[in-house]
Amino acid sequence: MVCPPEIRAGQRADRVLDEFGLMLGSLPPAARKALGAALVLLDQGARLYPPARGRRLARLGDQVAEGYVRAVLARRDPAAELIRRLKSVITMCYYELPEVQREIGYDPAPYIAAVSRRRLESYGPDIQAGEAAVTAPPELGAPELGAPELGAPERDTP
Amino acid sequence: MISGLVTQEDVAGDLSLECGVVVVGSGAGGATVAAELAEAGVDVIVLEEGGYHSTESFTAGTGRALRTLYRDGGGGMAIGRPSILYAEGRCVGGSTVVNGGMSWRTPARVLSRWAEQEGLEAIGERDLDPYFAAIESRLSVGLQDPETIGRDSALFLAGAQARGWAVVPNRRNQLHCAGTSNCSSGCPTGAKRSMLVTSVPRALARGARLFADCRVDRITSSGGAVTGVTGHVVRPGGRRGPALAVRARVVVVAGGAVQTPALLARSGLRSASGQLGRNLSVHPNAVVTAFFEQDVTGWQGVHQAFQVREFLDEGLLLTATNLTPPMLAGILPAYGRELGELMADYNRIVTAGPLVSDTGTGRIRPVPGLGPQVFYQLTDYDAGRVARGVELTAEALFEAGARRVLLPFDGAPVVRDPDELRRLLARPVPKRSLQLFSIHLMGTARMSQDPRRGVTGSFGEFHGVPGLIVADASLFPGPIGINPMETVIALAIRNARRLVERRDSYEL
Repeated sequence: MVCPPEIRAGQRADRVLDEFGLMLGSLPPAARKALGAALVLLDQGARLYPPARGRRLARLGDQVAEGYVRAVLARRDPAAELIRRLKSVITMCYYELPEVQREIGYDPAPYIAAVSRRRLESYGPDIQAGEAAVTAPPELGAPELGAPELGAPERDTP
Repeated sequence: MISGLVTQEDVAGDLSLECGVVVVGSGAGGATVAAELAEAGVDVIVLEEGGYHSTESFTAGTGRALRTLYRDGGGGMAIGRPSILYAEGRCVGGSTVVNGGMSWRTPARVLSRWAEQEGLEAIGERDLDPYFAAIESRLSVGLQDPETIGRDSALFLAGAQARGWAVVPNRRNQLHCAGTSNCSSGCPTGAKRSMLVTSVPRALARGARLFADCRVDRITSSGGAVTGVTGHVVRPGGRRGPALAVRARVVVVAGGAVQTPALLARSGLRSASGQLGRNLSVHPNAVVTAFFEQDVTGWQGVHQAFQVREFLDEGLLLTATNLTPPMLAGILPAYGRELGELMADYNRIVTAGPLVSDTGTGRIRPVPGLGPQVFYQLTDYDAGRVARGVELTAEALFEAGARRVLLPFDGAPVVRDPDELRRLLARPVPKRSLQLFSIHLMGTARMSQDPRRGVTGSFGEFHGVPGLIVADASLFPGPIGINPMETVIALAIRNARRLVERRDSYEL
């Protein structure tokens, strides 16, 4: 319900659930517990929504379910806040799917490859020298304290 | 195989190690201290709770990055009204692997304030400038190559300049940044000169040893002086692995403003000041989402190219920063079909917002079963400045041609022109409705020459515990109002060199 309707295409819903499981596993214990509780609350709380006629969210048709989610997210209490956090994590997982990203015009891999090539072609020798300086002995690496500044960094205060 | 690097895969049984200095954390402070000490011939061991992830492993996958490079999946939450989402790096290189790479010297007025309020020694502009110069050379700090500046930054710049505001191009630690906009998921070219590709290899090349996937549970001490640390290896999925004990004559703690006070407190180390874990500043941030008619493709170009400095005196810094689709979807106040319609315009969106130099403070407290928790109450004054920063940001975006903006306030309507914006913000914004996040946490082991006011002294030494040094943003006596990385590194070099000068007293 919180993701766009296109989530029904292919195996997207299953993959969002997989991603959600991974994401949940990496969250801090407090957030994990809270989001777990939010899931149960969201599902079971539907029973109190009159048009649901005592059914949980998972058993509702699209129209009633959408009305219920809209009503929950419009509230301003701590439970609704928790459910909004849950919505954030689920929608993050949906927009992590590569085909969803491509549908909205985000396809970073070819772009990253192209600008990485451009970088090396334009500045190769400079980059090599900079990287070699990292582990070079001090006398060949960065200037020691007291050496003149390279460039003229502006202090950031007026 | 990298010489000197040990990961959990290399460890089969309990580890018992010995060295001169053990450094806890490999971010801006820890890696810098390790490199400085190793270069001076000190026997150094670095312990990092997170894993080692090479430049080649970095991709544009947000979820994977959050799980592998950030503590708690980037989902830390400061408890208060409003709650504030915060993120910290947890990997070799620490937060420098996932930050935007903004490298600014500490403002002179901030250094003066710290010196005056806390009686700190050798922390004036002239004292620190040589360190800044060294950092800027080592980390290739400089301006972006022009071809890497994206249209989102250019639009925000145009809007701010049309308003007549002072704007500065960002100085970043980058060696010809390619402009992949992938800073928060790890730089895939290695152009961002994070600790992963600078001070960590420098320290290893000088003989330091680095143990990744190793969590420190306690600092050990005897007779009032530190004797080392104990901890354990972290197996995949966070499972507890073999035990770890390191005997050392000096312990440097650089776990960040949340973990550092937590480690000190659970080790039974108390500060007479009562300030350990307190005095937390967070630089609250908010995001304004603006929709343009034309394609912006903000993900094609550097993560952040300019900063509006016009309102620094009010404690406000404004920037445009691109967000990946998952990040943006996570903060947009929409769901279902409506979310899909907003996200369909992803390539026409600019995200920008204020960073507030906060006046309130929070604290870190252990909560049984949950670990260290951040508690932070935004003050009414700071809430007002967040709203002011949001208004200014939206004004600049409208000036640049935005057709509508979404504000980071729960329940706020879509705003379609500056008049509507002014009408909406003429009334106070309820504090609890603010959607805030933080990536700059600082101040929880503040420096002060007076042990009754501060946890640490002028050079990061923990008052009353010989051989214990703090080397991260916990040291800051207050918020600095700009990106803190260069300040952390400068203090780390300065304090490491002080330790080297006094090495005989620690038998190093």
